[in-house]
Amino acid sequence: MSKNMLLECKDISFKYPGSNTEVFKDMGYRISGPGFHALFGPSGVGKTTLAKMMTGDLKNFGGEISKTDIGRVLYTYNLERIPGWTTVREHLAATTPESHQHKIDDLVAAFGMQPYITSRFSKLSLGQQNRTNLARYLLQEFDLLIMDESLANVDEVTKENIILKMKTAFSDRCFLYISHNVAEVAKFCKQILVLRGRHKTPQTLSLLGQDYSNGKDLDKKELEQTMLEIVNAF
Amino acid sequence: MLSRRIYQFFIIYFIGITILFLIKYVLNLSDYVIPSPLEIWQTGQNVFVRYLFNVMDTLSIAILGHMLSICLATVVGIIGRLTIWVGSFIRVAAYNIQAYPIVAVAPIIFILLGDGLSSRLLITAMICYFPLLLSFIGILSEPVQEIEHFYEATLRMNWRLQVKIRAFENISKITTVIVGSGTLAIVGTIVSEFIAANAGIGHSIRIALYQSDLAKILIALFLIGICTSLYLVCLEWLGLEVQKRLQST
Repeated sequence: MSKNMLLECKDISFKYPGSNTEVFKDMGYRISGPGFHALFGPSGVGKTTLAKMMTGDLKNFGGEISKTDIGRVLYTYNLERIPGWTTVREHLAATTPESHQHKIDDLVAAFGMQPYITSRFSKLSLGQQNRTNLARYLLQEFDLLIMDESLANVDEVTKENIILKMKTAFSDRCFLYISHNVAEVAKFCKQILVLRGRHKTPQTLSLLGQDYSNGKDLDKKELEQTMLEIVNAF
Repeated sequence: MLSRRIYQFFIIYFIGITILFLIKYVLNLSDYVIPSPLEIWQTGQNVFVRYLFNVMDTLSIAILGHMLSICLATVVGIIGRLTIWVGSFIRVAAYNIQAYPIVAVAPIIFILLGDGLSSRLLITAMICYFPLLLSFIGILSEPVQEIEHFYEATLRMNWRLQVKIRAFENISKITTVIVGSGTLAIVGTIVSEFIAANAGIGHSIRIALYQSDLAKILIALFLIGICTSLYLVCLEWLGLEVQKRLQST
């Protein structure tokens, strides 16, 4: 993986078919380098739409999305399920590429999945389901992983452990973290794109987060300042 | 499950018989129009065994035709789920053809294939095929996005996995549709036998009709009801077993 990874959105414009309302108008954004980046904004502002443009699932938009040293982009969201005929362990074993099989146990332990590894997905709580779903994506080949509310319903302590584990175990990968939680976005992400809604100018604001990770000190005042900046950016 | 279905059938059958007798005695109709209970009992003793074999004959054709239509609907449903032109052609064709009454086509089948087994089997299969097909196409062409997304994003999706996911997610719907079409299969067989075949309980009902013998028809209806209930119970039990196995493996 390269430190030069770059995803650049230029002059993005988009309207849903049959609608006159523009979701984006000449919007620009850059994600550069590995680590945690955030996409933040109120519900319905277009976060998921933008994510789908980045993965290539949505094509009919104006502007350009260019990628440098970013090959595979994966998108995961919090409502995903694994098939009902298999247990979590069987599913992870079946869907993890041969070259990443050795990572399964480590990730299962770090994500606190051991107690329910032999259970079926439908028997898990929402938080357990989301952890399982995120873990299987991390075991895939990817350069950029877009996480759309992927850690919703996970308790704060476990969530922090998971993010810190991801930052160390996948330090050469790029993550785009979509969340409504101001505190976690400000604390863990290094770059935060705030989508402000279609009637505001500029439509987006890019802010710097605290990028907290293991072995790094967290200045609470600066964290509060970042959180204020995010809230004021709305 | 078995006792519930049999009870339901007995209740409906005996309500029907009671209404018939009420009509007979209120309107003072002769035994020629509506036979007396004693005559029905005596006719039952005379024809019960023969009719039982006839119903078994009908039931075997119905089961065979039902299985045939399930297999055919599965295959066509798998092709019909495709988003390319073949899929949409099959979907449109299925919706249009199912609107056409198969019974109206039945005489052509008898003219072309004769009044033997193949005609009965074909009509049976056709009558329960289209409702099955429409349900199967609906189920198999409806993506289960929250499961399929991962396989598509990681380029692991293939048609077998897609069909497995969609069928598994809709297994109770599929079971209900198959049980529902079981009744249609029996109806289809009896109708085809009634129209022109030379065997089965439908054929016996046609002869009884020509003889204006309502007692025989009532005995035939009783046996049809019992056998249909048994077949539907078997299908429901099979469906439950499949669901249980899928959820435990």
